[in-house]
Amino acid sequence: MGKGRYLLKRLIYIVFVFFIISILMFFIYKSMPGDPVESMLGSLKTSMRPDAYQELYDRTAERLGVNQPLPVQYFAWISNMLTGNFGYSTQYQRQVIDVIGAPMFNTIMLNLFTMIVVFLVSIFLGIATAVHKNGVFDKGVQVVTIVGYSIPSFIIALLAIFAFAVKIPIFPISGIRTPGSEATGIAAALDVAWHMALPVLVMSVSGIGGITRYVRASMIDALRMDYIKTARAKGLREKTVIYVHAFRNALIPIVTITTWWIIGLFGGSVVIESVFLWNGLGKMLIDGLMNRDFSIVLTMQMFYVLLSLAGNVLMDIAYTIVDPRVRLEN
Amino acid sequence: MKLRKLFALLLAGVMAFSAAACGAQETVTNNGESSEASSGTSEEPLENKLVIGAITQMKAEFYDANFCNDGTNYSMYDLLHGYTTVVSTKEGEFVYDPTVVKDHSEVENDDGTKTYTVTINDGLVWSDGTPITAKDYVFAVLLESSPEMAELAYPSQAGYYFVGYDEFYSGSTKNFAGVHLVDEMTYSVTVKAEELPFHYDISYASQWPRPIHVIAPDCDVVDAAEGATITGDFTSEVLEKTVNDPETGYRANPSVVCGPYTLSSFDVSAQEAVFKINPNYTGDYRGVKPSIETVVVKLVSNDTMMNELKAGNVDLLSQTGGAENIEAGLDLADEGLVEYISYYRNGYGKVQFDCSKFPTDSENVRQAIAYCLDRNEFVRQYTGGYGSIAQSAYGLAQWEYQESIDWIAENLNAYEMNVDKAIELLEADGWTLGEDGQPYSGEGVRYKEVDGELKPLVIEWANSEGNPVSALLATMLPENMEAAGMQLNPTTMDFSTLSAGIAHTGTTYNMYNLATGIPLLNSPWYYYSKDPAWMQPGYNSNWIADDELDAAAGALKTIPYEDRDAWLDAWRNYIKVWNEKMPDIPLYSDEYFDFYAPKLKNWEASDAIWPWSRAILDASIG
Repeated sequence: MGKGRYLLKRLIYIVFVFFIISILMFFIYKSMPGDPVESMLGSLKTSMRPDAYQELYDRTAERLGVNQPLPVQYFAWISNMLTGNFGYSTQYQRQVIDVIGAPMFNTIMLNLFTMIVVFLVSIFLGIATAVHKNGVFDKGVQVVTIVGYSIPSFIIALLAIFAFAVKIPIFPISGIRTPGSEATGIAAALDVAWHMALPVLVMSVSGIGGITRYVRASMIDALRMDYIKTARAKGLREKTVIYVHAFRNALIPIVTITTWWIIGLFGGSVVIESVFLWNGLGKMLIDGLMNRDFSIVLTMQMFYVLLSLAGNVLMDIAYTIVDPRVRLEN
Repeated sequence: MKLRKLFALLLAGVMAFSAAACGAQETVTNNGESSEASSGTSEEPLENKLVIGAITQMKAEFYDANFCNDGTNYSMYDLLHGYTTVVSTKEGEFVYDPTVVKDHSEVENDDGTKTYTVTINDGLVWSDGTPITAKDYVFAVLLESSPEMAELAYPSQAGYYFVGYDEFYSGSTKNFAGVHLVDEMTYSVTVKAEELPFHYDISYASQWPRPIHVIAPDCDVVDAAEGATITGDFTSEVLEKTVNDPETGYRANPSVVCGPYTLSSFDVSAQEAVFKINPNYTGDYRGVKPSIETVVVKLVSNDTMMNELKAGNVDLLSQTGGAENIEAGLDLADEGLVEYISYYRNGYGKVQFDCSKFPTDSENVRQAIAYCLDRNEFVRQYTGGYGSIAQSAYGLAQWEYQESIDWIAENLNAYEMNVDKAIELLEADGWTLGEDGQPYSGEGVRYKEVDGELKPLVIEWANSEGNPVSALLATMLPENMEAAGMQLNPTTMDFSTLSAGIAHTGTTYNMYNLATGIPLLNSPWYYYSKDPAWMQPGYNSNWIADDELDAAAGALKTIPYEDRDAWLDAWRNYIKVWNEKMPDIPLYSDEYFDFYAPKLKNWEASDAIWPWSRAILDASIG
């Protein structure tokens, strides 16, 4: 079976799984107790006469299409979604496409910088600890990474705020920019960067903890291989041995993690977003669930499903790039 | 400040753009301490800006509560929209606003209807300088009663009480019979006979302007014998653009307003709204204009808001509740870093019964549950001492309560914890049997024979997740209820599921824990009406059909607004009957604190009657 055929097969598989999951998701969410129309109309019930409210309710339900049988609702929803109409948010009273952009940008920005920090630090730290295995440096890093990995991010966030925003006030406590700031251009970007520093720092701690240990283990395995001994016997420089021969072979497990991190760029963290008031997708998803804003929730869920499915294919392709022994048709 | 930011950015140097941080930054801050550090002087003039911390998220909604009733958005409407003809005063009374109203008259017509004619003052203008005339007021009634506006999921109820509303709203006529544009500065509205007499009838005269030149630019308001009408291109398609457009519509971007402030910017990502003073604003009902140039409303987290105040990131935290935050604020006050005022919440947290569901359909059972709870201890533990107890359906800020404190102490049952009393009530209600149908032994759950069937005394309790009230009730109630022979079955759920139970659209429960606020237009005749039409959440949420309570609450509706003595007597009777029927158990009324930076002067606020959005007019920075 050739590479093209394999990819075609995976594509058909993605489409099939996407539709199965869409049916499951739709019916699970729609079976949740709670009424999206009531959530949308909020406290109007207390300010309108009951008959008038009922009329508004019926009109709104019709407008949203939630008075239709569930299978009809499903087909309307999926056909709209496939044509780029993600529906109407009952919570924000706007089209989903109009409200999802800002939090998605915030989430991607935060996650992207976190990913850069995590990979810059943890790959070099992982390699260094593997090379100096069982030394004082390695043991010290092991302890620190276990601590970073184990402590919940909520605790790290509060500790970081206490340390760097209250006791030594070098970072702002929360928010995306300085209240009332009229800065533009570079100054505005720097203001955002200043506000992003603490959440990035907090999110990086657990990421660095996990990935450093992963890289270390992978590198230790690679450094035990015979080809490393051969490379050293050939008189190659130690840097060449480590970064060209060992690290390349340690990349497969790292590729797996990297792929999931890239997919995770679009996933918000409810905890971090709530503590630092970073308006992102995590909180939006939870708020959507709590308010039975199914258009928002289903759009985000299906987006994540698609990303996960596509991520698996990307990962397979990445394996073939970093390790020529891997063949897609296998 | 710049040095600190530079240091901060260097610490975050792994971020790609950290090198650029070496450049100069121009950021605005209220942090006086930091400003001194960077400038080396302590004599910098204070920026005439107030940053208010809000703990609920904001949406891009600036029209009115009919589109969005979220707490923070609700407050911001006061900043933008003004010149309502009838307003509530600082004392909570409804009056014609003399800044707006030049003259008014009320005429009772032969057919039982009543016509309110209002002439507005010359010289009122919109923020863009366009004169405000009676057309803008009539336009608002017509717009907000129209089927075209209803297409935008707006209730279109503004003229509900006026003659001809049904025909206008249904679209069968383009003229609103009960609304007239009398002359350029005068309009009239005629109230339906069936809506009279009404205690708050002055509210019928309450109208507000909307800028016709912005919302319906190619339209006009004209009067005819059949009533006022909007002429020109007035369609839902036009409103979809002028009102509903997420970028330029009046809901998201009210470019022309008549309140004390104008909306300068709203950043949904940063959760921050910036308001600038409206130079064309003539003043509130006292003629008071704001002096604080810029008001910023910014989202804060409940966990860190006191740190934000201390750091100078926000200048005001309004309506702070909960012992932990209050004590943190008081510590800051002891250090001289902040100042504060306190007032009671005009509402209470409660256990709400479903009085249509067995066994809480029994008054005795509801009272027995009340006797099983030590409410004084509950308040002490929940509010940490910063709270009080209401004995009936009233808010501690209500004038009726203020004038009845001694009367309430003498006449209302405080339901002091008494398990023996609970047992007595249950036995009087027929809960005298055990599981085997034999007389109750004193152990286990009580039973009662109902229509030949033996039924247990089990109370199903719905509570919301992550709610400290639920946690405290779960530790204080079950033991005493068990001692009285009741079984309490708690179920924790999210608020939407709980709401579905209250609405009888999901699984129903005997009791729920919730909170309620007492509005200025308090209308108990709806809340306890036996009429099935009112039996629904928001009105008769208890589903209680009790003759006595219905009559006591209903008696209030027709008392003239000016007759305070008759109102007070009827109100006392109502809260006494309510106290006996116990549709809810009031648990606690918080004491709210406003903590603010010392630079904020003349700060006076209260719950419901004088919120921060109105108090800001008297305040200044200095």
